[in-house]
Amino acid sequence: MTTTHQEGPPGSTGDTVPVVKREGGMLAKSIRANGLRTMLLVVAAVLLAFAVTAVLIAISGKNPSSAYWALIKGAFGSTDRIAFALNRSTPYILTGVGIALCFRAKVINIGAEGQIAIGGLAATAVALYLPQLPLVLIPAAIVAGAIGGAAWAWVAAVISVKRGVHVVLTTLLLNFVGLLIVGHLLHGILGDPGAGFPQSPILPEMAWFPKLLPGTDLHIGILVAVVAVVAGNFVLWRTTFGFRLRLMGESHAAADYAGVSTSQCTFAVMLIAGAMAGVAGGIEVLGVHYRLIEGFSLGFGFSAVAVALLGATNPVAVLPAGLFLGFLEAGALSMQREVGVPSSLVFVIVGMTMVFVLSSIGMSTRLRRV
Amino acid sequence: MDGNVLVEFLGASIRVATPLLFVAIGGLLSERAGTFAVGIEGMMLAGAFGGAVAMMLLGSSGAGLIASAASGAALGFIVAIATAKFHADQIVTGLAVNILALGLTSFLLRGLFGGTAPVVQFETLAILPIPYLSNLPIIGEILFLQPALIYAAFGSAVAVHFFLKSGAGLLLRAAGENPDAAFAVGADPVRIRILAIVAGGAFAGLGGAVLSLQEVGTFTDGMTNGRGFIALAAIIVGRWMPLGTVIGCLMFGAVAGLELLVQGWGLPVSSYVIQMTPYVVALAILAAIGRGGQASAAIGSPFIRQ
Repeated sequence: MTTTHQEGPPGSTGDTVPVVKREGGMLAKSIRANGLRTMLLVVAAVLLAFAVTAVLIAISGKNPSSAYWALIKGAFGSTDRIAFALNRSTPYILTGVGIALCFRAKVINIGAEGQIAIGGLAATAVALYLPQLPLVLIPAAIVAGAIGGAAWAWVAAVISVKRGVHVVLTTLLLNFVGLLIVGHLLHGILGDPGAGFPQSPILPEMAWFPKLLPGTDLHIGILVAVVAVVAGNFVLWRTTFGFRLRLMGESHAAADYAGVSTSQCTFAVMLIAGAMAGVAGGIEVLGVHYRLIEGFSLGFGFSAVAVALLGATNPVAVLPAGLFLGFLEAGALSMQREVGVPSSLVFVIVGMTMVFVLSSIGMSTRLRRV
Repeated sequence: MDGNVLVEFLGASIRVATPLLFVAIGGLLSERAGTFAVGIEGMMLAGAFGGAVAMMLLGSSGAGLIASAASGAALGFIVAIATAKFHADQIVTGLAVNILALGLTSFLLRGLFGGTAPVVQFETLAILPIPYLSNLPIIGEILFLQPALIYAAFGSAVAVHFFLKSGAGLLLRAAGENPDAAFAVGADPVRIRILAIVAGGAFAGLGGAVLSLQEVGTFTDGMTNGRGFIALAAIIVGRWMPLGTVIGCLMFGAVAGLELLVQGWGLPVSSYVIQMTPYVVALAILAAIGRGGQASAAIGSPFIRQ
């Protein structure tokens, strides 16, 4: 196997930059061959998944076309729905960028759920207990979220790097621990005694995220997500660190041989991804719920993995992938209310799309090699 | 500690270890043949669901068990085709299948039984006392007065132990260690891997049946709750050996048994802390073992004919 390296010409944008050759994490190899082809592939996989799901809807005795019409209306039907979908996309995009960087370096971090939980916890603690910081309260809470998320990712990285336990296992097991820590604290010192539900007292209003669009729920989190996409793209394609990540994606052994400290890079990329997940957790608390609620991060971890993957582990493409999932969920929730088709169909569509995309990528690699 | 408490503790340990053991044995087959078994959690969930549905619709525990194994195997087949045939990334495909299983089971549960949170309930599997042996003092009650699937789980571990030493087992291991060599002696590593993953899925499905049919008598969304990943940890603890994996599963079972004891003593420990224990213990054990064990040499990489 040859490993010639091509760096992108300066000034070119992310999805057309020639990637480090061969085997670059997941979909990177096809992006290198043809960005458009990968996009078409993902779109085809999504359509195929919708088609199979339509059969399932029909089997459960509902009309697929009216279900999908309700889904589209629920996603795009009004300014409020669009605002809801954009808010929904925000944590997926933020965490998706971090996970895309990890996956690019073959560090299979699936710990976003726990990192979001701990990030949200840290942000809540700052917002509740440091109201003497009126002007900088929001930034302070978000920074606390980033530190919380990064710290949680650090725990996984230590066990993985120092003790050789696979990152999939450490991050996944820590998800459960993180969620339960939040639950434990919400039943104790952080809880709102009168609520009857495990949640914190409501945050002071000066800690609430400002609205982007007055009169809707849309908060400024989506802007943070876009900044994260741009930053992630810059790091991956324009920095030495990003080059090292891509090199690790080729082969950890090759990167070691080239003098790259894979353990240092693993730590760094895990901390970055953890911090982004932590920020996402802080934004959920400060922008959506205005309080910490037990289970607020449930399901986010796998959704973020799906977004990173559908975005071809390319930060720029994580943006449309995250928006897709956000709008899909917004649509599915209202479809469930309108026509009674369960919203868990989102997971069916996402899971199927991932299997289709992964298979066709694997297949195209096989064809090239023969 | 008086005798009754001890019996209760050991009995609980074995009961909790049983679903883990089925799933871990399934995962072990897949991993020894060269495919990471990350999707085992989804196969377990599919098995729990398939068993519950068959039990509800047909009312027979035999049909329930068959449906469990078939559902797990069906999901395994998806992983097998995607990874062995189409060379999809093994770990991420496993994650995708976990998401798919979560979605499908939750979707079909509502599709089949209606309502936003349908209630599915049935009788749990009966206890099957082993004649004579169950009358033994203490040991009889712990080991031989248990529901049938418990014997099946430990029996499967022993069976797989001997299977791996047989000719067919040797080929399975060759597909995981050095698929090129297996191919050179006329075996088809792709087919072996597909069979191993599908068989592993069936075992994992039975693990799900232990939960839904034997333990609780119902199905709820995401009821496996990370047990598939604990089973993966048990495989590592057992160093990819069936009998070692039994010990790994019993260790995690014992953790749960201890929780039961602690709760019984009425200590003021938060239920959250108690729920956290298995995951923390799994992490601690994995960290303590470190790089001790060795997975199959060719795990993670597809077999490509030269």
